[in-house]
Parts: sequence; C-alpha cells; structure tokens
Amino acid sequence: MTTETHWHVAPGDLPAIPASEQNASSGFLVYTIGLLLAVILTVTSFWVANTSVIWAPGVPAGLAVLAIAQMGVHLVFFLHITTGPDSTNNVLALAFGVLIVFLVLGGSLVIMANLNENMMPHTEMMNLQIER
Amino acid sequence: MTLLGKLDWSAVPLDQPIIMGTVGGMVVAIVSILSWVTLKGYVPYLWREWITSVDHKRIGVMYIVLALVMLLRGFADGIMMRTQQAVAAGGAQGYLPPEHFDQIFSAHGTIMIFFVAMPLVIGLMNFAVPLQLGVRDVAFPTMNSISFWLTASGVLLTNVSLAVGEFAKTGWFAYPPLSELQFSPGVGVDYYLWSLQLSGIGTLLSGVNFVTTILKMRAPGMSYMRMPVFCWTALASNLLIVAAFPVLTALFAMLLLDRYLGFHFFTVDAGGNAMMYVNLFWVWGHPEVYILVLPAFGIFSEVAATFSGKSLFGYRSMVLATMTICVLSYTVWLHHFFTMGASASVNAFFGITSMIIGVPTGVKVFNWLFTMYGGRVRFTVPVLWTIGFMMSFVFGGLTGVLLALPAVDWQVHNSVFLVAHFHHVIIPGVLFGCMAGYNYWFPKAFGFRLDERWGKAAFWCWFIGFHLAFMPLYVTGLMGMPRRLQHYDVLAWQPWLLVAEVGALVILTGIICQIVQIVVSIRHREQLRDTTGDPWNGRTLEWSTASPPPAWNFAVLPRVHELDAFWAHKQRVLAKQRLPVRQHAYQPIEVPKNSPVGFATAFFAVVSGFALIWHIWWMAGFGVLGAAATLLAFMFRTKDEVEIPADQVDLFDRAHPVEVSL
Repeated sequence: MTTETHWHVAPGDLPAIPASEQNASSGFLVYTIGLLLAVILTVTSFWVANTSVIWAPGVPAGLAVLAIAQMGVHLVFFLHITTGPDSTNNVLALAFGVLIVFLVLGGSLVIMANLNENMMPHTEMMNLQIER
Repeated sequence: MTLLGKLDWSAVPLDQPIIMGTVGGMVVAIVSILSWVTLKGYVPYLWREWITSVDHKRIGVMYIVLALVMLLRGFADGIMMRTQQAVAAGGAQGYLPPEHFDQIFSAHGTIMIFFVAMPLVIGLMNFAVPLQLGVRDVAFPTMNSISFWLTASGVLLTNVSLAVGEFAKTGWFAYPPLSELQFSPGVGVDYYLWSLQLSGIGTLLSGVNFVTTILKMRAPGMSYMRMPVFCWTALASNLLIVAAFPVLTALFAMLLLDRYLGFHFFTVDAGGNAMMYVNLFWVWGHPEVYILVLPAFGIFSEVAATFSGKSLFGYRSMVLATMTICVLSYTVWLHHFFTMGASASVNAFFGITSMIIGVPTGVKVFNWLFTMYGGRVRFTVPVLWTIGFMMSFVFGGLTGVLLALPAVDWQVHNSVFLVAHFHHVIIPGVLFGCMAGYNYWFPKAFGFRLDERWGKAAFWCWFIGFHLAFMPLYVTGLMGMPRRLQHYDVLAWQPWLLVAEVGALVILTGIICQIVQIVVSIRHREQLRDTTGDPWNGRTLEWSTASPPPAWNFAVLPRVHELDAFWAHKQRVLAKQRLPVRQHAYQPIEVPKNSPVGFATAFFAVVSGFALIWHIWWMAGFGVLGAAATLLAFMFRTKDEVEIPADQVDLFDRAHPVEVSL
C-alpha cells in the first residue's frame, strides 16, 4: 500500500486510514444527517398523501418520487454505498439485485396480466356451465 | 386440543408391508451404526472433530456424505417407479398402490433436487473454494455449520415422513390447488413444506457465506481474473442462491399461511390465484437449474485443464459465459408453463430467451473440447465422467432447445419426453460433474486416491445404464405417454419401459461399484496414498498444500501472480532447476473455534418442524424458543478463535512435506 493511495471511505465505513487522522464524530454526524433526511422524507410523504395543494392525480407520482429519494438516503447514509473503489462490490451487488427485482416483478406482472387476459370472463364460464 | 395435536398411532402405516419393511431396515441400520459408534468409543471423536466442526473441509465432507446417502434413497424411489411401470401394463396394477406411487414420485423429485444435488454441489464448493482461493476458511465458519445442520434437518424430516404419516402426493413442485388443504388434507404437503423451509434457510445462509468469501477473502494477489474457474462458477451459483431462494421461502410461507391460517393466496375461491404459485415457483426453479449445473461446469473446467496438462482454453470467455448464464437464467422461467394459458407473444419471448441461454453453454462445450484438443489427456476417472458428460449433455441440451419451442412444447408437455429431457441434462450435467469432482478432490480430502478400476466400472455402468434408462422415455414420450402413470393400457409402451428398467438395474450396478470402490480404496489406502499433496499434477492452489490439508489450510498464505498460480510456480521451479528454500519463519495461526451451535439449532429446528407438521403447538413453541436461545447464547460468547502455536504449524509442515511449496 503506497502512501499516496487515496481511500474513498463510504460514510460510516471502517476507516482505511488510521483512526487518529479521522474526525471521531464523523460517523455519528453521518447517521444523524441520514436520520434527519429520512424523517423529513417520511413526514413529507404523509403530508403529500393528505394535501389538497397538489393536483390530485399527481399525488401517486409525488409519493413515488419521495419513496425513491428515501431509498437513496438509506443506501448512502445507512448502507454506505458510494462511488469509491472500496464500494465496487456493493454497487455491483446492488445493481444485480435491482436487475433481478426488475426482472422478477416486471416479468411476473406481465405474465399474470397476460394469463388474466386469456382467462375466459366469469360470466361466459357461467353460461358454459348452464348450457351443459 | 390434545397434547400431541394430530399425531396418533394411525400415523404409522402398519398395514403397508413395503413401507414398514423399509422403515424396519432403516431403523436397524441406524441403531446398529449408532451402537457400533458408541461401543467403539467414537462418539467424543465424532462430536469434537465432525459434529461441532466449523472447518469448511469437514463440513464439505459431511454435505457429500449426506448427499450420497440420500442418493441411495432417491435412487430406490426411482427404481421402484421404473419397476412399477415395467409391470403395470394392460390390466395389471403392479405392486404399488396409487397413493403410495404418488408419494414416491414426489419424494424422488424432492430428494434428488434438494437433498442430493444441492448438498453435493454445496459440499464440493465448501471443500474446494476456500482452498482454491488460498484462504483459511469461509467468511462465516459457524454460520456454515448452521447451514449444514439445517439442511440435515430437512433431510431428517423428509425421512421421518416415511415412518410417521405420509409424504406429499402432489409432485415435487406441489402446485396448488392440489396442495391446498381442501385437496391435500393430510400431513404430506406439510412435511414437504417444512423440510424445504428448513433446508432452504440453510442454503440461503450458504449462499451469503460463499458470496462474501469469494468477493472479500482471496489470497494476496488473486484478482478476479486470476480466480480458478470453479470459484467463478461458485460465485455465479451463490449469487443465484441469494437472489432465488428467498422467492421460494416466501412462496412456501404463503402456501403455509393458506394451509394453516386460512389465507387465500392460491386457493380456488376468495380471490386466490394458483397461477401465481406456478409463476413464482419457477422464478426460483429455473435459476435453481443453473445453481446446480454451474458449479458442475466449473468442475469439468478444472478436470479438463488438469488432465490435459494445458491451461483452460478461453478462460475469459468461460467467465463471461458463466456470468451471462447467471443473468439470463432469470429471463426464461415461463418455459416451465408454456401451456398454462400465456398468449403466443409472451410464449415467443420466453421461447427465444430459452434458446439464447443455450449459447453460452455451447461456448463452454467448445472451450472444454479445445482444452483437450492437442493436450496430453490422461484418461483417469474424472476425465471419463467429463467426456461422458460432454457427449450426453449436448444431446440433452438439444432436446432442451427443442422444448424451448412453444409449439413443440404443446405436443410433448407433461409427457415422459420431458422427463427424459430433464434427467438428460441433470444426470450428465450435475451428477456426472459431482462424481468427477468427488474422484478429483478425494485424495485432497483424505490423503489417498480412489481405486481407478472400480471407478471406471462405476462410470461405465452409470453411462450405459443412464442411456438405457432414459432414451426409451423419449420414444414413449413421442408415442404420447404422460408422466407419473401408476398403470397404463397401451401395451406398445411396455417393451420400451422394460428396457428402461434394465437401464435402472445397470445404474444400480454402477452404484454398487461406487460403494465397492470406497471399500477397496480404504483397504488399499497405503498403496493409494498421496504423499506429495499434488497427485494429479494440478494447477490451482488446493494442490500446493498437504493432503489432507491441516485445519489452517496454508501455513503461509500463498502469493498469487497469475492464473493457475500453482502450475506457474511449478514451471518456474522447473526452469530454475532448484527447489525454493523452505521458509521457517512460521507465525501462530488463529482458526475459528468449534461450536455446537449448528447442531443445537438444527435439533430445535427439527423439533419445531415436526411439531408444526402435526399441530403440536406447545412443542413448536419450545423448538422456536430453543433455537432462538441457542443463537442468543452464541452471540454472547467472548472467545471465537483458537490459536495454533507456530511450532505446531512447523511440526505439521515437517511431517507432511509437499513437493513444491509456494
């Protein structure tokens, strides 16, 4: 390990450089910021759900945006995902997870919707039984 | 509420001579083994060195022993079905009543997938991956022990179902509505669900363990592109485990809620949708195919390179193909239910992806062929299994491409053509791979090679017997024979099924050869002794340490400068005509401390599983509390490592010299 190596330490990660050079309170600070942001986003989403300030059909979109922001806050401040080289594995694992969730959820939705479409409507099935 | 829930004497099928005979035999075998072990005074040794061991090599060996024992059970089920179908033609009913036949085919599938193929693959990964990575253990050694013992609990519950109660009669995938309480009111489906829940948790923990180990704990200098191919395939396989097994656990949890608490996830009425079960089952089920076969591909790669005396052809393309399969395996699952109501456009999409996933596999086959081409191939037992695999797997894979066409699938779905196809990929693919790995790593695990003559006899019996047993099923499948028939009226099928029966008997001969092989090898272990640590002129790091390796694997962690690190090191030594000076600056080594927590957790898991199956609620509570208390006690322990003093490491290295040390 050469001296000029610059370590990108994710917030709250165990320090790669000796602890004496680190600000002892930085971990605490990071979690506090994270908690505050998470609380703000949660409170805002409760407010958005009940408010009449926003055009009503826009409420679900607003909630979705807040939820995604919440995920981002959790990833950065609590799960310590950063762009640093230390974090490559975590980022790749996250990408893999997102891809799988997308494939499984998206695929299941498409498949189940398609199966549903092909189902004979309930009334028609009743008629069939009556005809028999 | 009674004290024992639904359990009473009617649960034991005393009127079934076949079942009671099997149970009697099993009880006699277990009691005699236990008393022999106790009388010889081996119990403290077994407890100290094996049951509480957290050493990845020991756990790997226990996984493989478990799998081989269950292979006997699964094969017994298989040959019973073949025998039934060989005789039950025309008006004949054979010797198995329908409700027993249904349990047998369900148990055969469940056991072969979850309790033979999975433990074989996980056992081989446990044994070989940390050694190949040049590290001293997996990331979470005690969790590894818990994983193993949870798998063993699942096995135990499945076997208990033989004597107490019944097993599922629903097929190995337990599709609702048949598996719902309304149509399967017995305990069979509950046995199926709880034993798979327990072993599934074990598998998931294993997956987490191995992903962490491979990503975080490699020998100094071992970058990703210097990892042996088996480690790459193990990584892909465990990524799939981590992503797929939670789906299965959640799915079974939903079916359990339906059965126990009156939920309506998959019921016919009250808005349930059975197709959601089918869909989610195969979201797990298709990646599962690759969880099993990818590590086997890794073994074939190692075997082909080692015994051809060449580096693997196209290492990068092999890695790329492995990771491509890892992702693509999540895009094909609908091909398991083409005929259950999807429209042509959806079927076409999944049909095309199913054909595409054959491409990376084809790349691998060419890589193995080119590895052997121009090499000086030594025809040892692992190589025979590998060549046998390549010849049959390509054929089996081609029938898979055929089945990927939805139009063809409409013709042969639910027929024995499909049965022939999936046995044709899973036996040569997974089982042959594990047998190659078993023969390949056995000298590393125990310090002596397996007998070649009996090994070759076993291979030829398996190879010929497999083709005799399953080729006829393609024919009868095309003649329209559905799967899972207890008896049939079409006499034209019978000659083919008689041939299949002969094939099953030849496979039986192969299994007997394998048992003889172990006995003969143990008796002749002095002649077969591997004193060098490198019996095959290997290429990867596991061959650079003693056979069997010490608990700490490597006295000094190896430094890796290239792919095939051990081979390159040997070449350098040869070029210099000088053995490197052995270094004697040994450091004390810390190894993880043995722990009974895996065994204890599994004990309580079995208790609660059994209690939940029979609705003995107080006992279920006791089991859950016991398992929780065990884990809690484990968390409070202060000492989790034992230090091996430097002079003991030194002493071991002097007593077990390896030819070329790193």
